[in-house]
Amino acid sequence: MRAICRSFLHMLKFIRHDMMLFAALTAPVLAGMAIKFIVPFIEKSLIQFTGMNAVISPYYGLFDIFFASISPAMFCYISAMVMLEEHDDHIDRYLFITGLGKNGYIISRIVIPALFAFVTTAVLLPIFRLTDLSAAQIIFLSLTGTLQGIIIALLIAALSSNKLEGMAVTKLSSLIIFGAAAPYFISSPFCFCFSFLPSFWMGKSIYDNSLIYMVPSLFVGGIQIIILQRKIMKSLI
Amino acid sequence: MIKVNNLTFSYTKKSFIRDLSFSVFEGEIFGFLGPSGAGKSTLQKILLGMLPGYQGSAIVNGTECREHKSDFYESIGVDFEFSTMYDKLSAKENLLFFSSLYGRKSRSVDELLRMVGLENDTDKRVSDYSKGMKSRLNFIKALVHDPKLLFLDEPTSGLDPTNSRLMKDIILEEKKRGKTILLTTHNMQDAAELCDRVAFIVGGQIFALDSPHNLIMSKGAAKVSYTWNDNGEQTASCPLDRLSEDKLLNKLIAENRLLSIHSSEPTLNDIFIEITGRTLV
Ligand SMILES: Nc1ncnc2c1ncn2[C@@H]1O[C@H](COP(=O)(O)OP(=O)(O)O)[C@@H](O)[C@H]1O
Ligand SMILES: [Mg+2]
Repeated sequence: MRAICRSFLHMLKFIRHDMMLFAALTAPVLAGMAIKFIVPFIEKSLIQFTGMNAVISPYYGLFDIFFASISPAMFCYISAMVMLEEHDDHIDRYLFITGLGKNGYIISRIVIPALFAFVTTAVLLPIFRLTDLSAAQIIFLSLTGTLQGIIIALLIAALSSNKLEGMAVTKLSSLIIFGAAAPYFISSPFCFCFSFLPSFWMGKSIYDNSLIYMVPSLFVGGIQIIILQRKIMKSLI
Repeated sequence: MIKVNNLTFSYTKKSFIRDLSFSVFEGEIFGFLGPSGAGKSTLQKILLGMLPGYQGSAIVNGTECREHKSDFYESIGVDFEFSTMYDKLSAKENLLFFSSLYGRKSRSVDELLRMVGLENDTDKRVSDYSKGMKSRLNFIKALVHDPKLLFLDEPTSGLDPTNSRLMKDIILEEKKRGKTILLTTHNMQDAAELCDRVAFIVGGQIFALDSPHNLIMSKGAAKVSYTWNDNGEQTASCPLDRLSEDKLLNKLIAENRLLSIHSSEPTLNDIFIEITGRTLV
């Protein structure tokens, strides 16, 4: 436990040395403010300009989902970058054979950041949300958002062998959060093409205002995490 | 300390390490001597629990390697072939971090740095270190938690003679402190000087295992070569333990006609070539 804490704190110290990663830490608040203050302002202007009743407000739920995806994606992206840098320098292999061990390493680099992401999202979402989310919906979105963040981190770690590749994979793998838009824009049977994405079920849950979709979302996310985690454990020697 | 029985392992389908058995006793320096690609690092990785897909048994400190728990590493220190440091942090920050990962009481980081002559560079970033400095730093990193068992992969390779000497002295010092040390090397002088016992490894197989002294004695007894003048310089040689049977030599001695005479012991290198049919490079 002590080793895991040390390893996590060490990662924070490491991030402080890296301007880009440090900046990524502030992304959730910046995105939240943009959503909370700029989006309604744009909506107001659009309504004035077009004379319609609503232009983007029917999609406000989508903004809430995106916000719930951003903090975890950012936090887990930062972890993945640190892991890739440690991999480049052969440090991960060394950490596995210290008191920290392979499991301790994964906990300090993925599980703890994910916990922080969950708490951050659950705290910030009620502040920056655009729709009347219930407490249960807030918890649900924070939870699935976090699973999605873990999936992004694992994808980056699994598919790239250095930091440079990691950047490219980050851009690709963050696309998985856009599954949430499918229920909003694609009609019923076809939108299920995206049902393998947890974000699709997040979108469906908010769009239909039904918490039952929490089950497939957690299920799909959980399975993907287990598969990726197995793959990573094997490749990390 | 370490007991290996019928160990078999391969990275690919092609068989590599087959049916190895050996033991390492407490308090000794045990060496794997072999050319590059022989499987020395692979063997160390198996014993470190990094390659759990082996058959047979490999027991380290009473634990089967593939089943180790995380406390397995509390009493093991490792110096890999390559540097494993945070380049952006200073030497001292690196050591303090790595030592904080263990539950055991740690050794003084300043003292360790002094021991390898890095006391004036403790706050320098590792990226500004020279290769030799990195090797020394990497080595003391294995000692921060004062482990009972040390795994050193090519500890002297790439070092200049001064640093190599320093490293060997520290290794011997750690042995005196009661550590068991398992090292790999392709340098036969280092093996002869440091190891209580060496295993000759080529192609994943152990060809011989004994103390350097016994290995040298077991094969080729020392030879005596001599020269004399007989229409130009002539040379001959004879085993040291059969000098009295060499009529020519005895005649030359009686007639004081020898130009030169010297004995030569085979080196571990000669023995290695004789036993394995391979050179060490
Ligand atoms: N991860 C790996 N995957 C496949 N083959 C490997 C791997 N690591 C090492 N090998 C091969 O195993 C052999 C032994 O390597 P190694 O144990 O590093 O040798 P040594 O340390 O004696 O120089 C080499 O032929 C090497 O190419
Ligand atoms: Mg090697």
